Amino acid sequence: MDLAARLGRLQLLVVTGKGGVGKTAVAASLGRLLAATGRRVLVLEVDPRENVHQMLAVSPSGGAIVRAGPRLWVQNLKPGQVLDDIVRERLKVEMLARRVLASPIYEQFSAGAPGLKELAILGHALRLLRRVGPPDAPQLDLVVLDAPATGHGVRLLAAPRLVSEVIGDGPFGALAGDLAGFVADPARCGIVVVTQAEEMPVEEALELREALASQLGRQPELLIVNGLFPPLPAGLERPEVFDPLDPLIPPAPPPAAAEMPLGAELLTFWRHRRFLNERELERLARWWEGPRIELPLLALERGPALTEALQQLLAAGLAAGAAGAPGAAATPAAGATPPGAGLAAAEHG
Amino acid sequence: MNLLSDEHPLVIFVGAGGVGKTTLAAALGVVSARAGRDTLVMTFDPSLRLKDALGVGQEAKEHAVRVDLEAAGELHASLLDARRTFDRLIERYAPDAEARSRVLGNRFYQHLSGSLGGILEYMAVERLFEVAADGRYQQVVLDTPPTRQALDFLEAPARIVGFLDSGALRVALRPWFAATGRLKATARLGGLGRRAERFLDEVVGLDLLRDMAEFFQAFSPLYAGFRERASQVEALLRSPRTLFVLVAGPGEERIADTLFFARRLQQAGYHLGPIVVNRVHPEPEEPWRLAAFDPGPGLVDGLQLLTWLGERDRRGLVQLAQLLSDAQPLVDLPLRPEEPTDLPSLADLGAELEDRLADWPRHLRREG
Repeated sequence: MDLAARLGRLQLLVVTGKGGVGKTAVAASLGRLLAATGRRVLVLEVDPRENVHQMLAVSPSGGAIVRAGPRLWVQNLKPGQVLDDIVRERLKVEMLARRVLASPIYEQFSAGAPGLKELAILGHALRLLRRVGPPDAPQLDLVVLDAPATGHGVRLLAAPRLVSEVIGDGPFGALAGDLAGFVADPARCGIVVVTQAEEMPVEEALELREALASQLGRQPELLIVNGLFPPLPAGLERPEVFDPLDPLIPPAPPPAAAEMPLGAELLTFWRHRRFLNERELERLARWWEGPRIELPLLALERGPALTEALQQLLAAGLAAGAAGAPGAAATPAAGATPPGAGLAAAEHG
Repeated sequence: MNLLSDEHPLVIFVGAGGVGKTTLAAALGVVSARAGRDTLVMTFDPSLRLKDALGVGQEAKEHAVRVDLEAAGELHASLLDARRTFDRLIERYAPDAEARSRVLGNRFYQHLSGSLGGILEYMAVERLFEVAADGRYQQVVLDTPPTRQALDFLEAPARIVGFLDSGALRVALRPWFAATGRLKATARLGGLGRRAERFLDEVVGLDLLRDMAEFFQAFSPLYAGFRERASQVEALLRSPRTLFVLVAGPGEERIADTLFFARRLQQAGYHLGPIVVNRVHPEPEEPWRLAAFDPGPGLVDGLQLLTWLGERDRRGLVQLAQLLSDAQPLVDLPLRPEEPTDLPSLADLGAELEDRLADWPRHLRREG
């Protein structure tokens, strides 16, 4: 089955990666893309600072489910709110619920009990998908979760299993067991790792991959390498002007200032950043087994235009994967518009 | 202004994930040692290359490691590991071997201590406290964990104290469970007690409650020390001798985050030093013109992208400067062609940070 179809068949898609690599932009774009293929999609964000709405040009969610287009919704989730709702649901009597919710013991328990927040987030997604959540919620096929950054992302996915191992029985244990099964099932839950081709994000992506294998026994569905500097045009890959920063070039006398072509400084910078990108792409090619999409750095502010551009690039990348070109990581041409994304199939190091 | 002085023996780098806090903390450590100060850099999650540059490995999780740097002062580095610190704390504060092994052996502790709310952050501050109490360094530079809300880290001690004071603990420590594993109150309260037990079993699960009660009871001899240390750590963080450096990403879209963060820090009573806008893309001095090259479309597109990035970052910086008070130090550092990953390039970065800060008021006027 090709990748686009596989992603489309999932019920939960967890998007994670190091902070600052563009997770939210990718989550919003994936949400739009999958909604465009006919799925009913919710992009769920758990950051206390709302961002997803901006990517999809709607007003902030404030905790509510907000419509963001055909078959597309967004929600900013406060995990505490989910727990409060469950207490209200279970207790039924409003006065009693209020007393429980106001008690410092509940406050401490809900903020500090291990794994509870993680269970609340995943449980919320599952309840919406199974239509046992709030009665006014839209019917959904898929939840795209803009998950917390790497370390917390693994904890989120590993929490159900840990909790179910520790607790075993009881309603929490049962919920945890249910969620653990869901998260471990690649037919229902997918994981997308977002990174940039720089040392730290790549390191984290590789560590994340290992943590997923050891703690969950599974692999991510897709790696997205975001924000690549374009390759240099033919003939300019090597420095032809004086380049004090490149240790590979023997020092040459600097040309007189008047002879320095303007733009040379930018060109040098570009060459270095691209070199860094390529070094990390090579590392990924060696160590990352599985589909990979490369996205260029775009001259667009965070907002709907960027979401749309990324959506097209992702669609092209997934389609290229569907066509299947093992090992052929088509890198986008400089400043390319779609189809600029390439997809590399599994490559063994 | 100057970051390194006896007025501020503790400098803490905060900011969102991916802005370069760790590298800057290491860089400041290097220049501090070069300035003749015995310095400790405490960091969470350095890259492999940075670990190599500092020459630290796993052993730095146990104790500070001397960095092989030719400098007037000594540079030490340590890696923060929440779980190791937690274990050590229990080893030290448990009144006897039995209490120790009860906590270390508890299922809750083993599986879930790492995800206990705020505990990672709290353990980092604990470690900081150990070092501060030790007093052997003139300068401590602390990197903070990559949380989306890095304030979690600062609020951890207050949260632990809040937990200890909330009464939740007193409740947890009451002998709720009879040896039969059933709630004691059930028998005493009759029908009401049975209903309460059924409710608890349905909502939370009695097994879970039993395990948690056991965990808290096993932990109880440690609380007294915890509470006091948490209060002292809190005082250390709020001391005017502790200076916070807020590191931010460039570009207009980050401004809201940066301002939010700066205000939260100040409102909470911490002492905010400079805001450093890091990894700013270069801006060409003049519009570029490539007389020497054949300007193919790839070249023009690429240079346009770079120009856009440089201009975007510059705009962001000017806007941020306008939104901050004139008294707030604000400096920018360029995105380097290559991340600094050895001691000379770290020293270079640290020196650049110091230069910018020394130049600050003039620097700001130039931006504004």
